[in-house]
Amino acid sequence: MTSRQTALFVACVAIGLTLAQDVRPGLDLYHTWQYAAALTIAIVVLVSYAWGARAGADGLAGARIAIAIVGALAIAGGGLLAGLIGPDTITVGGSPGSVTPVGDLQAAAFFSQADPQTIERGAATVALRRPGHDPLTVPATGRLFLGTSIVYVSARPAAYIVARDAQGNRLTVTQPTNTTFLSPVLLFPQNQPLRDKSYPLDTFATPGIHRIVRALYFSAADAQAFNHLGVRQSALVLAVNDDAGKTIGLTIAPSGREVAIGNLHVTATLGTYPQLVIAAAPHPALLAIGLLVFFGGVLAAYTRPSPDKPVVTPVAQQP
Amino acid sequence: MRCLTVHVHSAAARVAVGVIVLGILVGGCYSGGGPKRTIDGGSGGPGSLAGAPAVSYTVKRLDGHTDALARYRGSVVLMNLWATWCPPCRQEMPALQQFYRENKSRGVVVLGVDQGESAAAAATFARAHGVTFPILLDADEQYGRSYAAIGLPTTVIIDRRGHVVRGIDGELTLAQMREAVGSALRAQ
Repeated sequence: MTSRQTALFVACVAIGLTLAQDVRPGLDLYHTWQYAAALTIAIVVLVSYAWGARAGADGLAGARIAIAIVGALAIAGGGLLAGLIGPDTITVGGSPGSVTPVGDLQAAAFFSQADPQTIERGAATVALRRPGHDPLTVPATGRLFLGTSIVYVSARPAAYIVARDAQGNRLTVTQPTNTTFLSPVLLFPQNQPLRDKSYPLDTFATPGIHRIVRALYFSAADAQAFNHLGVRQSALVLAVNDDAGKTIGLTIAPSGREVAIGNLHVTATLGTYPQLVIAAAPHPALLAIGLLVFFGGVLAAYTRPSPDKPVVTPVAQQP
Repeated sequence: MRCLTVHVHSAAARVAVGVIVLGILVGGCYSGGGPKRTIDGGSGGPGSLAGAPAVSYTVKRLDGHTDALARYRGSVVLMNLWATWCPPCRQEMPALQQFYRENKSRGVVVLGVDQGESAAAAATFARAHGVTFPILLDADEQYGRSYAAIGLPTTVIIDRRGHVVRGIDGELTLAQMREAVGSALRAQ
C-alpha cells in the first residue's frame, strides 16, 4: 500500500468514526480513550502525509490529495474535540406539564401535557427554552444542534392510568415513590428482570381506597412472547396491595381496556412519552464543508491531468 | 534506495513525534468516558415556583361550567389543591372557607382544585364542609403536576400580574393564610 493509499484509507476511517457521532449519537464509545487514540493516530498520519505531499513528495496529484486531507483533518479534529470536551450523554426526563432545568445547555426542558390519546399516539412534545432565545420544540424525529451538542428525543414507555372505585367514581392517582407525586402518567423509571430480559416497572397509589399498585409494562411483542398472558397487545401486569402491604390480587390490563381487582377498576392506556437526549457531536456544517473539501481534492487528483504523468499525444501520420 | 530509506525513516519519526505530542495534548483534555447521566425532572416542591408565571389549564367546575386560573388575572388568588381522601385537606377546609368569607369583598379569589376525582365525590365533600368558593375539577391532575405538588394539600398564592408569589406544601391555619395573602396584597 503506497503512502497515498494509506492516507486516503486513514482519512476514510477518521471520517467514518466522526460521522458516526452524528448518525448514531449518544454512544459511550465516543468518550472512550480508545476512540480518542484512534482519531489522534489518524490525525497524525494525515498531517504527516499532507506535510510531505505539500512539499511535493507525492507529485502534483499528491498535492491535490493533501487538500482533500485538510477536509478529512477538519472532520477528524471536530470529532476528537466533541468526544473530548463535549458533554457526556445526558437523558433528561420529566412528567407531563413539568419543567426540568438542563444546566449543560443553560436551558429548561418543558414537557407537554398528555392525555390518554397523546400517550397512545406518542405525540407529546418537549420544548427547550433558553434565556434570550425563542423556544425550540425538539422534533419527534430529527435533531437539533446546539453548540457542540446534538439534541433529540427518544420515546420511553408510558401509561395513562384512570382509576375508579366500585361505584365508578374517579380516584386520584399518586406516585409516592417518584419525583412527581400527582400524576396519572406512569413513566417507568425502574426495571424488573424477568427470565432473560428487563421490563419497565412503576408504582402508583389510589389513596382514596388505600391501594398501592405495581405495574409491569409489556409491549405488544413482549406480551406475545409470554403466551400464558393471553393478550396480543401491549399490557400492564398489575399487582395490587392495600396500604398495609396485604396482597389484593394480580391482573393483566390490556391497553385501553378496564379491568377490576377487588374494588379498584383500572384503565391503562399504553404508549410512549418523550425524553430528551443530549449528546456531544460535531456540527453538521463542519462535516459538510470537510466532506466537500475531501471529495473535491480526491476528484481533482484523479480526474484532472497531472504533469507528473506522461501525456500521450497521438502521432500525426505522414501522408 | 538509501534516499528512500531516509525518507521512510523521517516520515516514521514525524508520525512518532506527532503521536506523542498530540497524545500528550489529548491526554490532558481527556476526562474519562463517564457513564451516561440521567436527569429525571424532579420537582423542587411548590416553594421552588416563587416568581414563575402561573400556568393555567381549562377544566370543569363543580357547577358544570369550565373555568381556568387565567380567568382571575388581575386579582390575588389563593389556589388550594386538595382531594376528598386527604385528612389534612379535610382539616384545613373550614379555615379556607372562613378565609374566603373574610376576603371575597377585598377582591381576593379562593379556588379549590380537586385532584383527579369525580364531580360527585367533590360535590358531596363540598356540601358536607359548607364550601361556597369555586371548586375546579382537575381530573388529569395537571395543576398538581405543574405546581410541583409533593403532597396534599398544596396552596399557591398568585399575584395580580399572574405570577406565583408563594407555593406552600401542607395544611395551613387561618392565620397562615392571612399572612401569605397579606404579603401579596401589600406588595402591590
